[in-house]
This record gives sequence, C-alpha cells and structure tokens, in this order.
Amino acid sequence: MSSADAIELDGVEHSYGDVTAVGPVDLTVPEGEFLVLVGASGCGKSTLLRLIAGFEQPTRGTVLADDKPPVPGRGAGIVFQQPRLFPWKTVGGNVALALKYAGQSTDRVESLLERVGLHDVAHRRIWQISGGQQQRVAIARAIAVENPLLLLDEPFAALDALTRERLQEDLRQVSAATGRTSVFVTHSVDEAVFLGSRVVVLSARPGRVVLDLPIDLPRSEIAPDELRGLPAYAALRSEIGHAVRAAANLEGSSV
Amino acid sequence: MTTTLTTAPAPAEAGQRPGALAPRGDRRRRVLLRLLSLAVLYVLWEITARVTENPTFIPSPAAVWHQLIVTSTVHDGVRGYSGHLLIEHLGVSLRRILIGSAIGVGVGLVAGVVMGTVSWIRVVAEPVVTFVRALPPLAYFSLFIIWFGIDETPKLWLLSIAAMPPVAVATASAVFSAPTGLVEAARALGAGRWEVTRDVVLPSALPEIFTGIRLAVGIAYSSVVAAETINGVPGIGGMVRDAQRYSQTDVVVLGLFAIGLSGLLIDALLRTAENRLIPWRGRA
Repeated sequence: MSSADAIELDGVEHSYGDVTAVGPVDLTVPEGEFLVLVGASGCGKSTLLRLIAGFEQPTRGTVLADDKPPVPGRGAGIVFQQPRLFPWKTVGGNVALALKYAGQSTDRVESLLERVGLHDVAHRRIWQISGGQQQRVAIARAIAVENPLLLLDEPFAALDALTRERLQEDLRQVSAATGRTSVFVTHSVDEAVFLGSRVVVLSARPGRVVLDLPIDLPRSEIAPDELRGLPAYAALRSEIGHAVRAAANLEGSSV
Repeated sequence: MTTTLTTAPAPAEAGQRPGALAPRGDRRRRVLLRLLSLAVLYVLWEITARVTENPTFIPSPAAVWHQLIVTSTVHDGVRGYSGHLLIEHLGVSLRRILIGSAIGVGVGLVAGVVMGTVSWIRVVAEPVVTFVRALPPLAYFSLFIIWFGIDETPKLWLLSIAAMPPVAVATASAVFSAPTGLVEAARALGAGRWEVTRDVVLPSALPEIFTGIRLAVGIAYSSVVAAETINGVPGIGGMVRDAQRYSQTDVVVLGLFAIGLSGLLIDALLRTAENRLIPWRGRA
C-alpha cells in the first residue's frame, strides 16, 4: 500500500456460510478518489463496502483503510441505502450526535445542514421532512466529522428520479468541496458515470472486478445537464453498461 | 460550500400521526355513541334492580349514589365508611399502587435491560420471570404476610412483584430486538457500547417499555384489592372487603366504580405521557 492509498484490498474474499459473496478482489483506492462500485443486485458490492467499513471481516485476504484494519466509526462516514435516522432525535439532533461522539462542538449543525441544501429544518422531527430531505440529513451526519473516508451504499436507490438527480448533483459538490476519498455503491450506470472519478464493475456473485475504468470528465467546468449531454459521457455509459450486463449475464437487457 | 438548491417541502400532513386527527363530526359521533351506551347500561341496571327487588343482589343506581354521598361526607358524627372518606380510601390505595408500580417498573426496567443485553442472564432469568408472572398475587401474598406482617410492607411487596414481570418481559424483548440498522448507524458515527445502549437501544425500546408499564400499572390496580384483603382499611380494597362481610352490596358496587373510574383516569394519563414522550410511535 503506497502512502497515497486510502484503501487497499488484497485478495479479499467474504463468505456467508457456504456461499461466497465476494472475491477474490484486489483493489487500491488513492486518496481523494471518488470510486464507484457498480454491479447487478446480489453481486456483493454492498458486502465489499461493509468490509471497507469494518462491519464485516474478510474470510480471506486483508482490508486496510488508512493503513489499518477498518473499525466502524473510526475514519469513515457512512451513508446507508435507508437514511437510518434516529426518530427520537430532531433533524439537528441527528447531526449533533455525530459531532458529540467525536467530542466536537455541536455549533456546526446548521452549517452542515446548509451544506446539503437544508435550511431551517434543524428543529423539525424526521417524519416532518420528505424522504429526499432525510437522505440529505444522513449525508450531513456522515460528513459532520472530517473523516478521510466517505462510504455510500446505494443512498439514492429508494428516491424518485428527480430527487435522485438533485442529490447526485449536491453530493458531487460536497465531495469536491471536502476532497475526501469516497466509495459509492450503486446499480445505476448513469449514477456511476455522473459521480465517479473511477468506476469498478463487479461480476455476478461472487463479485470480482471485471472492469476498472478511470472517468475523466470536465465536471467542474460545465453544468450537470451539459455533462450528461457530452458524447464522452454517453460513450462511458455505454461501455460500463455493456460490462455490467455481460458480468450479470444480462446481455440484451437494460441496466 | 453552500448549495442553493431548494428542496421539495415535506407533505403538509407529514407532521400528523396517522389517524390522530379524526374529523370533528366523527369525534362528536363517538362521544354521542359512548354517552348513549352509558345511558342504555344505566336503564338496564335500573330495570334489573327493580325487577329483582333484591338490593343485596343488585342494588339500584340510586342506592349506590346514596352510598357515594354517605361515604364522601361526615354524617351523624360518622366519618365516611369505616372512619374514612371515600376519597381517603381511594387516595391510600392509589398511593400503594403508585409506590408498588414504581418499584416494580424500576426493577423490571433494570432486569429487562440486563436480560435483553446479556444472553446468559436472559437464559437464566426468563423462566423465573415467567414463573412469577404466572402466579396469582394472592398466592404469594400469604408468604409476604408471614415474612413481613400485616402493615404496608407486604402490600407494597405484592404490588411490586405483580407489576415487575410485564415491564421486564417487554423491556427484554425490545432491547433484544433493537433495530440493527440503527445500531449500525450509531456505530458508524463512533458510538461505543454504552452510547449505543443509551442513544439507540433504550429509545427504540421505549414504545414497548411503555406498553409494559401500562400493563404493569393495570395489574397493580387489579391486585390492590387482593393486597388490601388483610388490614386494608383505609384503602378501597379494604372498604370493599368490609362491605362484602356485611353484605353492603351498594358499597361494594361503589368501590368497584371508584376503582374502575380511577383506573381509566390513570390509563388516560399514561397514554398522554406516552404520546408526549414517544411522539415518533407509529410515524417512524
């Protein structure tokens, strides 16, 4: 692992009983990279993310984050598919909890919520805001502490298309502003191309790397709609989509 | 960096508990229906009392009302019933229920949390709690009389022991099945074992714990008559027990009404507290 690598997976395999979910996988993620893991449902991409988060231990191989075996709550902010907010806390209380556990002042709650596009909601209960707003709160909570890693497990999968696009754009801005290493899991090829500085496609179970592609698009220079309209964007989308379908033995269908 | 994106507002009704706001017409109809059912019960009671013509078997509503006046006042130098006003009998019983329930709920909570988090303690303690729960309060009251005499102590022991199992069982079950998603979310934020218990496990268990508390208070309520069968005056159970000895059915019925109505009031208070303390119940 070079000093500039934030994550290193070396021969990683993970099994649930007799079923091998992932591996073997060799992967290094340099600092500051926005890596997107793509694959069909059940290919083990969420398992891979849980291994990087430290929620699971590999059956074989080693996982290192910041040169150490990962431990949940140390060094990585995590956003799950469901917001997983605490309903007994207010919106602000949910974000404040992350700061409290890190021994930091909770004065930044409002500014963190504003960073994800939420204004004047800190005092509200979580059932008083929409699903999209709840996922924004989850992102604010995950980036509250300046961890070197941000891990996101299909965070927009349960949202409608319009909210998903808005959140993708916001996440892109937040990620660029914080510059932290991110690993984003999705089954959406469009989401992968739009967000990633690098896309890794996993095969069907047990998930293995079948495509590792750098994404070089002028993100900071043009608007999201223009970005999506670039021929290079369409070409990357096509290449990755083809790889995902081939990996999942779904050639001929759309992913 | 601050984004300027305006997020879609949450639905206007998002802040309302499902079913919490019945239309005003529905509420009025419900109140009318309840009043009507009370009126029908009253008429049936009156008719039955007149037909049977046996006040020792079925006292009339008027006789019970008369006893309410008699037991609530000082008349001919006699104070209420057995030297105490009805409100004093009720007050002493409520005090016993409050203390007994508080001890039972406290012990049940601690036992439930420990049972829910430490598996070997759950294996050992679960059959014991179930055993105690299955015993009728009168069965162990005799033991407490032998151990502690006939003063307040055995009564409070009885009510505490009766109130403990529902809270212990509800708490243990809720703590054991704390939502793993939220526990993981807290761990991802850096929460330690104690912080996870304090900030996630206990709050998520609160709805079930409250159900256990309501059950516990209900059981303590129904056990108070048993607790006051021996040296129970002043006390509403003692009053009923004495009235039964002298076949004063109207006083017995009055005592039952006092217990039932105050029970309804306490349950309504608990439900109000529950809505205030657990506003997310049924909404998240």
